[in-house]
Amino acid sequence: MCASPASSPRPASVSPAWSGEKAPPLVVGAVERTLVVMPRRCIGCRTCELACSFAHGGPGRMARARIRVHPAGEKRFVQITCLQCENAACAKVCPVQAIARDERTRALVVSLERCVGCGLCEAACPFGHMHFDRETRRAEKCDLCGGNPACAAFCPAKALEYR
Amino acid sequence: MAIRIFIDEQEVKAEPGESVLMVARRAGFDIPALCYHEAVESIGACRLCLVEVRSGARPGISTSCNMKAEDGLRISTDSPEIRRDRATNLELLLLRAPGSPVLRELAARWGVRPRLQPPPDAGIANCILCELCVRVCAALGHNALAAVGRGEKKRVGPAFGKPAEGCVGCGACLSVCPTRCIVMKDTPAARTIWGQSFEFHRCQVCGQPVITEKHRAFAIAKRGLPEDYYDVCEPCKQSQASQRFASVVW
Amino acid sequence: MPRFSSEKDLESYRHKVAAGRAPDRRAVAVCAGTGCKAFGSAKLLPVFEAELAKASLKGKIELRATGCHGFCERGPLVLIFPAGRLYTKVKPEDVPEIVREDLAGGRVVERLLYRDPVSGKAYEKEEDIPFYMHQQRLVLKNNGLLDPASLDDYLALGGYRALAKAFAMGPEKVLEEVKKSGLRGRGGAGFWTGRKWEICRAAPGPDKVIICNADEGDPGAFMDRSVIEGNPHSVLEGMLIGAFAIGASTGCVYIRQEYPLAVERLGRAVAAAREAGLLGENILGSGFAFDLRIYRGGGAFVCGEESAMIASIEGRRGVPRRRPPYPAQSGLWGRPTNINNVETWANVPWIIDRGADWYRAIGTEKSTGTKIFSLVGKVNNTGLVEVPMGISLRQIVFDIGGGIPGGKKFKAVQTGGPSGGCLPASKLDIPVDFDTLVREGAMMGSGGMIVMDESTCMVDVARYFLNFLKFESCGNCTSCRDGLYQLHRLFTDIAEGRGSEHTLELVEELARTVKATSLCALGSTAVNPVESTLKYFREEILAHVRDRRCPAKVCKALITYTINDKCNGCTLCAKRCPQQAITGTVKKLHVIDQKKCIKCGICLDVCKQDAVWVE
Ligand SMILES: Cc1cc2nc3c(=O)[nH]c(=O)nc-3n(C[C@H](O)[C@H](O)[C@H](O)COP(=O)(O)O)c2cc1C
Ligand code: FES
Repeated sequence: MCASPASSPRPASVSPAWSGEKAPPLVVGAVERTLVVMPRRCIGCRTCELACSFAHGGPGRMARARIRVHPAGEKRFVQITCLQCENAACAKVCPVQAIARDERTRALVVSLERCVGCGLCEAACPFGHMHFDRETRRAEKCDLCGGNPACAAFCPAKALEYR
Repeated sequence: MAIRIFIDEQEVKAEPGESVLMVARRAGFDIPALCYHEAVESIGACRLCLVEVRSGARPGISTSCNMKAEDGLRISTDSPEIRRDRATNLELLLLRAPGSPVLRELAARWGVRPRLQPPPDAGIANCILCELCVRVCAALGHNALAAVGRGEKKRVGPAFGKPAEGCVGCGACLSVCPTRCIVMKDTPAARTIWGQSFEFHRCQVCGQPVITEKHRAFAIAKRGLPEDYYDVCEPCKQSQASQRFASVVW
Repeated sequence: MPRFSSEKDLESYRHKVAAGRAPDRRAVAVCAGTGCKAFGSAKLLPVFEAELAKASLKGKIELRATGCHGFCERGPLVLIFPAGRLYTKVKPEDVPEIVREDLAGGRVVERLLYRDPVSGKAYEKEEDIPFYMHQQRLVLKNNGLLDPASLDDYLALGGYRALAKAFAMGPEKVLEEVKKSGLRGRGGAGFWTGRKWEICRAAPGPDKVIICNADEGDPGAFMDRSVIEGNPHSVLEGMLIGAFAIGASTGCVYIRQEYPLAVERLGRAVAAAREAGLLGENILGSGFAFDLRIYRGGGAFVCGEESAMIASIEGRRGVPRRRPPYPAQSGLWGRPTNINNVETWANVPWIIDRGADWYRAIGTEKSTGTKIFSLVGKVNNTGLVEVPMGISLRQIVFDIGGGIPGGKKFKAVQTGGPSGGCLPASKLDIPVDFDTLVREGAMMGSGGMIVMDESTCMVDVARYFLNFLKFESCGNCTSCRDGLYQLHRLFTDIAEGRGSEHTLELVEELARTVKATSLCALGSTAVNPVESTLKYFREEILAHVRDRRCPAKVCKALITYTINDKCNGCTLCAKRCPQQAITGTVKKLHVIDQKKCIKCGICLDVCKQDAVWVE
């Protein structure tokens, strides 16, 4: 269940590994522990968004949460966060190699020291997970909280798990 | 092969040739630095990242951003001399950029109050002439900016003083500017920067601006991207993705 | 010109050239150095030619144009050989007399001889004149003897003999010899040349480069220019020997755009050397290959700094970068590079030709050989002087320079160019060598020497150099760019009567930081004029800030012009005052309106009664 969701960043080629009848969870991350996203359990409470914004810059930055809950029909929700793509568009398009894989968490992490704020990655991510912060003028994305994702920790419905 | 350097007597691992400032910061040492950026070559302009070298043939005060880590290097990050010289250089910078929050915060922290007269305007208010914009612009391949002139008459801006051909309106110059002194204005219609106006490429779904047309064309041509690469904005891509995932899940 | 393919070829050709030149051969040498040219020496040559023809002396007496003799102030200079007679300030209309009286008649033209301004004594021979007598000319020695455009002339004087000897010695021995000679760089910091070569030689990378630094940016300095203009082959030969010792195949000469004559003469010398096989492949059959290119600098002072020079040659903005890596590790085009000054290179052939022991005997233990200074300012004899290291400042200023004009008192001498230091009269007896000068707060620099008399204000002097340096700062470092700007401003405050002791505190604080935290030596030495002035002339500065007084009566804001009762009412001052600030009627005491007075000093100059008083 650990197959990475997308070998290519284009949405068209989302891996069938987590499609199919039994509704397997979306698996994000790799190797040791992964962030498992289970939309079927999601109750749309948005606690994950809140937790994320707390973890990344404190309250009042809700708008910049790196996970989002999207409605998908009646009482159905899909949590959208970075898929930590194998061959990630953001990292490929970055002209200064500021986005690199964290060896430990396997998350793609933006180095704020290296990012020059050109905005190319935001426009490049096929899933819309790369965010260009207009205030800090740096790219922001999910970094799996360095190995303890707040979204999963706080999800009351266990629709997000880090395991 | 990793090497060891000693910062304030603490042993720190580094790669040979790494910037001492980078190594020190990674190890949690607080060294002020305004003109340093990891993505570009250091030129040592602001003179705030001073440390004291205590080993080798040439001990003494030096900038750390453009100092390369060498095995056995010993530095200290604080001393009365370092503090004094940092403060003096900060005072000189503050005269150029009295409106910069970063400088003001440092000044408040170090108790620096300018006692001298400001130098003649560098053409851009609050510009400290660190050339980060110039260096980043060149690193991105646009080469739209240049430093000209000597002494206090030095200026930074579009090469040859007129709107530069290479500029794509990406705004990275502003992103890296330590005093945020570069004026960039976005309206729904276009972005204005360095005396030029750039039309936005719009989201094919909602019509919101995504990226400037020129930047898009540059990126597509330079990186061999598909034509439709920048056709949808961040929120629209998210909702598209959510629909697609939903269809897979249910 | 034949192509020499071995040392033997070279020697037999030299023999041939020398044989055609009897030592007592008669010749007229007209100085074509920049100084003499400025006084019109170029006009003398055709007149000499015509006059010699008229006197049927053509072919019997050789006529040649030579490089600078150093005594530019008395130019145009004409030397008569073999007597060694020197005529000064020669004008075209003097030429017929020289030809008729001296060359044809064997009688000395007394009125054109150099006369000591103090004693009035006339000197016939160049070497007897005090200006020359106390000098020891090595690098400049052949300047007056050869035509810079003639390789034959250089060969006849032993040129390229040292190169052939170097080939025979092998690179290691050459290096050892240069190290043993104790030669130190003449361009600034006085680094040991042999050591520098050794580092570059040992650097990994086969493709090494050597550079000759001919940027000479110091205001008033013209020694490098005179060496290149007067004896370009000596620089080439030095570079060839250095390249051989270091193992470099490529050379560059970075020369100021403002030196067109030097560029032209060096270019010709390079062409001649190529033609003779002294540059190019397999030089003198040694298997050693070397060639060089000339780059013209834009005239920025900072491009004399080696890392900025490398950037400039590479086509980038001439801005210094941090060293290390030193040029010897990664220099021009990333290759190991050795940079030396013109004068340094020109010393090398002497060392190889005569040997390190011979060379060491000149100068002091730690500063060997000679140094050329450009002696300017308030001194009777200005010009280029070459002296053994260790000579005292007093000997240079008084014995060679002939003292201070107008019976004024010596006040200070500034050595080391704009970022040197000002030394007071109490330091006149220190030996001029690298280490002593630095210890006393000045430096050797590239050899500028500016003499100041009692009418010079030290605040004004410091301000002048600060102005130069702030203008020439590349603008990279905050400390240098804005620090020097502020220092200049503070000194302006002092000069204009706005200074206080607080100003001096600020000056000292800023100077410390500029010195300690600037990237290149421009910034770190720029405060030398400030610090040495504060050290040696503090009282004078304090007079400015405490008593609002300029003791030398230079700072306009701090002086007033008044007319005292010696005034006989001649009205001359009133007529000449550009501001009409002086009122008074004939035969009545005149008065200066202080509000209108701009302190231009014209009244002082025109008053015949000594009635204008400055305070
Ligand atoms: C601002 C500045 C200007 C300099 N200008 C010159 C110059 O005009 N000529 C020169 O030979 N060296 C100049 N130097 C010194 C050179 O950087 C270098 O030390 C020298 O050329 C080395 O040669 P040397 O070892 O033979 O002296 C300058 C240095 C600085 C910092
Ligand atoms: S960060 Fe090192 S000089 Fe500016």
